[in-house]
Amino acid sequence: MSLNFLEVKDLDKGFGGLKAINNASFNVRRDEIVGLIGPNGAGKTTLLRMILGILKSDSGTIHFKGKKINGKKTWDIINLGIAGTFQNMRPFRHLPIIANVMVACLCPRAMKRGEWVKRIEAKAMDALEFAGISDMAREKASTLSQGDLKRLEVARAVATEPELLLLDEPFGGLSPAETDLMANSIKRLHKGGRFGRLHSEGPAMIIVEHKLKQLMKIVDRIIVLNYGEIIADGAPEEVAKNKKVIESYLGKGDK
Amino acid sequence: MGSLIFYLRKLIKIFRSEVLVLPSRVAVMLFFLFIILFPIIFPDPYYYRVIVLASIFAILAASWDLLSGFTGQMNFGHALFFGVGAYTSAMLNLNLKIPPIASIPLGAVAAVMAGLIIGIPCLRLRGTYLALTTLSFPIILVGMIFAFPGFTGGELGVSGLSRLADSYIGNYYIVTITMLVLVTVMWKITDSNIGIILHAVREDEIAVRTSGVNTTRYKLLAFSLSGFFAGISGGLYAHYMRVAGPSTLEVNTSFLVVIYAIFGGIATIYGPVGAVFVLIPLLEFLRFLEHVRIPDQILSIMPDLLGKFLVKFVEILPNTRMFIFAFFILMILLFMPDGLLPWLRDKVETQCPRCKVRNISRRQTCRICTADLH
Repeated sequence: MSLNFLEVKDLDKGFGGLKAINNASFNVRRDEIVGLIGPNGAGKTTLLRMILGILKSDSGTIHFKGKKINGKKTWDIINLGIAGTFQNMRPFRHLPIIANVMVACLCPRAMKRGEWVKRIEAKAMDALEFAGISDMAREKASTLSQGDLKRLEVARAVATEPELLLLDEPFGGLSPAETDLMANSIKRLHKGGRFGRLHSEGPAMIIVEHKLKQLMKIVDRIIVLNYGEIIADGAPEEVAKNKKVIESYLGKGDK
Repeated sequence: MGSLIFYLRKLIKIFRSEVLVLPSRVAVMLFFLFIILFPIIFPDPYYYRVIVLASIFAILAASWDLLSGFTGQMNFGHALFFGVGAYTSAMLNLNLKIPPIASIPLGAVAAVMAGLIIGIPCLRLRGTYLALTTLSFPIILVGMIFAFPGFTGGELGVSGLSRLADSYIGNYYIVTITMLVLVTVMWKITDSNIGIILHAVREDEIAVRTSGVNTTRYKLLAFSLSGFFAGISGGLYAHYMRVAGPSTLEVNTSFLVVIYAIFGGIATIYGPVGAVFVLIPLLEFLRFLEHVRIPDQILSIMPDLLGKFLVKFVEILPNTRMFIFAFFILMILLFMPDGLLPWLRDKVETQCPRCKVRNISRRQTCRICTADLH
């Protein structure tokens, strides 16, 4: 079971003539943090979006906890226990920040798992507190800075109490100090437990990130994508030495 | 006795600290009182009729706001719900002799069905495409009504329905109290968690889906709730006018509703209601133009040409009614792009920068957290 927590098999996706994902297969265990890296346009975001069901795959299967999830509606997938953030943040700009998170708290999964928690607003507040923007809860989301929008995305994803969290560039636009804070809260979230009224399952994670230095500190395993193909899959140290990976990032040397 | 006075004092205290502190709440209270006491102040059937029609259109405009203002599903064919509600309750009343108290809710149920029938195919459409598609449905229905004149009465419509009540006062109270209750219910719906989700769907549908909320269900919910309220207003209209004609399905009706809602302030519920109660009496008031006459004494002392011009001008004056109406709306929208009522509300109230509670703008400090307001 632990091996088949998330199982992606022979996944294909093309946009017109462009092959965004080509025959990608990998597994994620229940207790892992997986980093997903690759040059721009490698298909990382496409892969996450296909797991979330926003994009439909051309062929191949995605199994989550033994259930096939590709072809299902996005909300069904979220309610099975996957949550994701967007690379380009998509808050509800005219709603207060707390209402942004309350939407996620109102999904059937969070409502059912609320146990003794009936107060949705209080729970949303705890999710904001976890992300570190609870002091601005009543402001409109349009007033937030880039870094805070990232945190809002994380708070919104965490509020559905996922078992698998897909983070698309969680450190993007954050200063080094903020990056460390975010990395710490991600680690804390992965350990699980309660954050006030919010319950964390200790989710497995897939993190797409370009800031490799910080990423290496928190992940257990790294998958490298290039032109839609997985070119490396292994522990951070191994991947860092892999010739193909260095080539794809830096280009081929002359000699 | 002592405990009675105690609770009475407590009630007065709550009333003072909750209602009297904000101009908008006082305004709502005064509106309720005005509606209830109106027959005592102006005991005239003509005035009753104006307020009753305003109430019916207030329900309709508020229901449009519930669907299009909150969910962002631009519905330019809201007359469909109105017409379906009117025709269904009219035919049930006429053919099966069902009294209005049952035929109006049944008409509303039929409007919900219509809402679902439109809603399901329209779910995939957005923006202009949705607007154009919804615009076409009432026109199709009008065509169907003209195609089966034996059943629907064709252009004349279904007439001879039973009255809501026997007296003017009875009619007045049935319609206005229904309006107050339904508008309060609608406002409560939009103020609840459902309202937050509907608002979020308007902002970004994909993001709502990735928050795990079934947006299809909520959009259909919005369609059917809006259809229900609009259907009730249609049924009330049919029974009040005692006729359900094709005019209820006209494009004109659809656009009037949109105008009311945008004029009063979109996504507020109270905005469209206020707008209807400003615009319909205004339109009635402008009828005085029909009775403008220039006295003969003035005409006799005027030069001939100017006199002729004045007579001609007075003759066309009644036809400028809609022009003045439109000009008024355009001016309001030019200077208050958020709508009339939100603009007024922002004038008299300020939001506390710290705790986001609204305060009367006269205050220097917030009434809750005592932060400086200015």
